[in-house]
Amino acid sequence: MARKPKLLWIQSLTCNGNSHSFFNHSNLFSILSHFELIYFPLIETKYSLEDVLRKKVHSDILIIEGAIKEDLTKGGVNIKELIHHYAKESRYIITAGTCATFGGIFKQSEPEKISGFAFDKENEKEDILSLYEHRLISLPGCPIHPKWLSYVLLMIINRRRIPLDEKNRPQELYGFTVHTGCVRNEYFEWKIDTHGFGHKEGCSFYENGCQGPFTHGSCNKILWNDTSSKTVVGTPCFGCTEPDFPKERLFSTKTNMGIPQKMPLGIPKRAYLTVTGIAKSFKIKRLEKKVIDYEK
Amino acid sequence: MIVKKLIEKIEGEAELEFDFQDGVIRNVDIKFNLYRGIEEILKNKAPRDALVITPRVCGICNHAHLIASVGALEDGINRSVKKFEITEKARDIREFTLACELIQNHIKWLYLTIFPNLNRVLNIQESKNYALKAMYVSNTVTKALAIFAGQWPHSSYAVPGGVTCDPTFVEVMQAKSYIEDVIRFFENVVLGIKLEEFLAIKSVTNLDKLKGDFARILFMLGKNGFGKIGQSYDRFIVFGNSKFSMPGKATATTVSGADIKFVQEFEQEGSFAKAVKYKDKFFEAGPLARGIVAKEPVIKSMHKKYKDSTLTRVFARIYESAKLLYVANEILKNLRIMQDSCTLDSKIRLEEFEGIGVAEAARGSLIHKTEIENGKIKDYQIITPTQWNLANGAAAAKAMIGLRSENIASFVFKTFDVCSVCTTH
Repeated sequence: MARKPKLLWIQSLTCNGNSHSFFNHSNLFSILSHFELIYFPLIETKYSLEDVLRKKVHSDILIIEGAIKEDLTKGGVNIKELIHHYAKESRYIITAGTCATFGGIFKQSEPEKISGFAFDKENEKEDILSLYEHRLISLPGCPIHPKWLSYVLLMIINRRRIPLDEKNRPQELYGFTVHTGCVRNEYFEWKIDTHGFGHKEGCSFYENGCQGPFTHGSCNKILWNDTSSKTVVGTPCFGCTEPDFPKERLFSTKTNMGIPQKMPLGIPKRAYLTVTGIAKSFKIKRLEKKVIDYEK
Repeated sequence: MIVKKLIEKIEGEAELEFDFQDGVIRNVDIKFNLYRGIEEILKNKAPRDALVITPRVCGICNHAHLIASVGALEDGINRSVKKFEITEKARDIREFTLACELIQNHIKWLYLTIFPNLNRVLNIQESKNYALKAMYVSNTVTKALAIFAGQWPHSSYAVPGGVTCDPTFVEVMQAKSYIEDVIRFFENVVLGIKLEEFLAIKSVTNLDKLKGDFARILFMLGKNGFGKIGQSYDRFIVFGNSKFSMPGKATATTVSGADIKFVQEFEQEGSFAKAVKYKDKFFEAGPLARGIVAKEPVIKSMHKKYKDSTLTRVFARIYESAKLLYVANEILKNLRIMQDSCTLDSKIRLEEFEGIGVAEAARGSLIHKTEIENGKIKDYQIITPTQWNLANGAAAAKAMIGLRSENIASFVFKTFDVCSVCTTH
């Protein structure tokens, strides 16, 4: 039997949310059984962080969690340099989460010094991409969805080609928008707002700042914690998979003359306005009232 | 003699510098290096954006940050903008999801930290996959959490005035099944007896009923002298008021009131973490503090026999997991889903105020302070529970002084459930 690929998880500037999100995967141990786990920050591994820092281990698949900061050190070792050491020998490099992919939230504290591994927000880091482009898989999300990562790992194990987009994101995950599969889609179709927070009814795109229609990701296709998603529970999508996450004023929709400023992905404004005009000219009684009458 | 040790797998890392004199630890310097500047990032942002940014302080207690953050906004709105109250439903749902996060945390600590590290310290070879147990509980209990909060980690479903979700009984019953699954695991694997039977125990003398992993850990700790070491200041503090905590402070088991205005934060040389004191004194925060301040009989009984030792501290955290499961189940039994989820207009303008929010996180009281001016965040301060426990000279350092081995000391350190990312943020 061929030897199992070595899986090495390195943390840079992070909150640990991607580690915890992945640890929550219901099939975690069957997924990990395909690999020799060199290091993962939450569970006992054969090697210690000290071994990783002293470059005593090897990596076939490198998972990077957290943003890259020029001068970040652990135990006296520069982490950026360490990541490149292991990236050079790895067959695949996976940036797990928005911080590792684009820079994310923490970039905002020192924008000049902090970025993603191969992208700085939407900009390509050409020196990095020229070295690693064909081995790089971007998995943005704050945090990463556990099943998006397991999909990539299992595709590698099964020797299947992963179709990627221009930012090295798997198309099968990021070709969709967060809007795809949202349970509030009927309200979106008929342009009915949710009128504040805390309602089963209505769509959050018009007032509450939902970015689902123009955010790349499968949150409503592959549910969170196998049960739900932000938009299902009436929380707006904050666009956490995007290079410019986090934008400003996340709980309100920027509008022009009452029309959301940012259009659903790929939809021309004229098309949107035409459809909206028609949809709004009807009053759909069923959608204007509460779904459930608990008095009955 | 100075011995340095890199402590890993504590939600990041810490560097401990043990100062040994005549073979005994006289001082421990604790250093955290991963500063991310969250309080600076928050400046000039819209007030509500804190509900999205602050959970990213920490991958394991993100939900507590959300609850403290929304509390700070609501406190400010109530004092300076508009008087309002959230419904019992919204309060219950928030307490439920927070309880789920604490259970997730405590069980990970037991199986990912305590068992493997104790085995290492005691040179016990075992091939058990403790991580599998941790994953099962964490996976199941966060499913119940996500039913209301949308996802874990990093939900932002608590907003000023309540919660964004409006569950039907379909969701409530689904969540209840997940909690019952965790209770069943707890009874079969952790306790070895029924949950209610365990929670009825009031005295240490009746703990011999326990079987399962809890009995095993207590036996290993007791047999190896952990009932006599790890004692700290014996001063405890709690600010959160919920179905699983009551506010107050205690010296040994004498309880009195505590007021947030006496909490002071100050810089420490050579570390990104700030220390916290109450009226110039270090206090311990966390499950042991909650048990002592709430005068839980079995915690008082443990304390009477073993003081604030490592054994008592470990006991308190596992005991609290059981209590949280009971509380979570009760909340779902009585949840009034017909009430409003959110009682505040989402368009209410947040222009100028100061607010303080508190949540009992897994590791103890978490405090958020927000100052709003011209509709933007002017200043934001986060005081995390680990700052109470892990500053130089604070509870964890005190617990290590007098020990003779840096390995034992590191274990004692980890029983405080260290969180590196929260400490620096």
